[in-house]
Amino acid sequence: MKKNYFHAIKINSNLCDGCTKCIKSCPTKALRVRNGKAEIDENRCIDCGKCVLECPKDAIETFADNLSVINDFKYKVAVIPASFSGQFNEAVNYRRAKKAVLSLGFDEIADESMVTDIMGNFIQDYIRNHENIRPIISSNCPAVVRLIQVRFTDLLPNILHLESPMSIIATYVREKISHEKKINKKDIGVFPIVPCIAQVTAVHQPEGTYQHLHDGAISIREIYRKVMDIYEEVENYDDICSFPDGLKWAIAGLKAEYIAEKDIDVLSVSGIDNVIDILAKIENGQIEKYDFVVMDSCTEGCIGGILNIENPFIAEARLKKIMRNSKHKNKFFNDKYFTKLYKDNFYNVNPLQPRSIMKLDKDIKSSILKMREIRKIKDLLPGYDCGACGAPTCCDLAEDIVEGKASLDDCLILKDKK
Amino acid sequence: MSEYTYINPKFEKEINEFSKKTLVPELTLNYDIKVRDFVNTGNASADIKLTLKRLGVSSPVLRRVAISSYEAEINITAHSKGGNIICNVYPEFVHIQFKDKGPGLKDIEQAMIPGWSTADDAVREMGFGAGLGLPNIKKNSDYLHIVSAENSPTLVEILIFYIEK
Repeated sequence: MKKNYFHAIKINSNLCDGCTKCIKSCPTKALRVRNGKAEIDENRCIDCGKCVLECPKDAIETFADNLSVINDFKYKVAVIPASFSGQFNEAVNYRRAKKAVLSLGFDEIADESMVTDIMGNFIQDYIRNHENIRPIISSNCPAVVRLIQVRFTDLLPNILHLESPMSIIATYVREKISHEKKINKKDIGVFPIVPCIAQVTAVHQPEGTYQHLHDGAISIREIYRKVMDIYEEVENYDDICSFPDGLKWAIAGLKAEYIAEKDIDVLSVSGIDNVIDILAKIENGQIEKYDFVVMDSCTEGCIGGILNIENPFIAEARLKKIMRNSKHKNKFFNDKYFTKLYKDNFYNVNPLQPRSIMKLDKDIKSSILKMREIRKIKDLLPGYDCGACGAPTCCDLAEDIVEGKASLDDCLILKDKK
Repeated sequence: MSEYTYINPKFEKEINEFSKKTLVPELTLNYDIKVRDFVNTGNASADIKLTLKRLGVSSPVLRRVAISSYEAEINITAHSKGGNIICNVYPEFVHIQFKDKGPGLKDIEQAMIPGWSTADDAVREMGFGAGLGLPNIKKNSDYLHIVSAENSPTLVEILIFYIEK
């Protein structure tokens, strides 16, 4: 098959023993076990990472750029996500940890939390200017965007067509540094530190964006380890700014609170199964009208991403404590700059395109024929959905058989009866 | 016994032909609907919609199918002693029958008035019973046929064409 899509996961066939646990966890049914090894259908995978957590053999490997990738650039900037500071226990100072990130070889650090406040204003403005579209669905979770592209294509126009905070901060620092330090933009490397593989994929194959944003994605996990190695040696971190209010962005429920207003009803949904349930209800018109729905594939939002270190609920408690206790309420100073760019439509993105996996065949008549075949075969199958054949359900096996990708002999229960 | 029929004038010819002939459906989907099963209600209409989506039926039509069949499914769950749904798929349209075991409608014309409802408090507390069910079904279907009487079963059947005129 032609490689159309970048994915930040890969099956390590040396470790995979074909247990079939992963195939049932996949929300887009992108996994099959064939010839004793798991396979990923790249057209269906949305990089949510559920299978990675499910695999008992750690055979589904995640990809993120190695820290050494920054060496290809003259001037190196790390963009720290809001979920980052939730990873460290209380003995670790938030600003000192950020200074440690800088010491890993970066020339500058920027924070997602610098721009989340102003981003909230843009989103509110966008919602008010798109009265004919309800609900507007948040676009910051790349796994949700890809889920909508493959399974809920009707809802593509509902997605917030604006760049994310991680992206607008990237364009800002690139612009600022090239201007102030007279460095060619191409020589500036901007590297988000990411909490999940969907963000890695979004960096390597962005959807809808007009501009070059990021030059690599480094996992929180890798940065965490390296930060802890050098943390004790880090000194003089008083000049490191922090934007504790902006940390809300990492927590699904609090992110929604940025946007909620008298005239803007919000709903916040996290966890891929809940997201699918609510998207289906929105698509079918079976849910009350919300103006804005925040959707995160991971439990509780970005703090639930699989490239984090800490349990999402502990990270959430820590972030909330930082927000409560912080004396340094730095306000980001450049609101006017961002507002101007927003008004000039600089943060707009291209209309998102479908990647639909739903249609069985080219037209209704041939699809009906296929569906009849599938149902005929399904009736022959035991209906236990045991997954031993390598497909998640009997219905999926029937479909695979009709598509010529599997055979009735793959059903072990039928084989046993023979 | 009373009866109610609505025909979208744009499909008059096709609908008349349909009621005269006995066509064999390409696919038939069956669902049992249990009394007051508010947890699972909506699953049948979701499955009907998903099936048609996989066949490549267009989004606006899918939405109409989803709304009508969901409303009709809720009606069986909330107001009847249980029943079943039979969905027949044809190459150009879908025909869905919603049958329940009573207690039936005293006055169908009245039930077609938006806002009119017999729902009890328990049903209303769940967010149903606003009296918009049947009017909504009518709005989204090309053909609506209701047969009922007091203390009798109710049949609601709809036709929706894949091509909008």
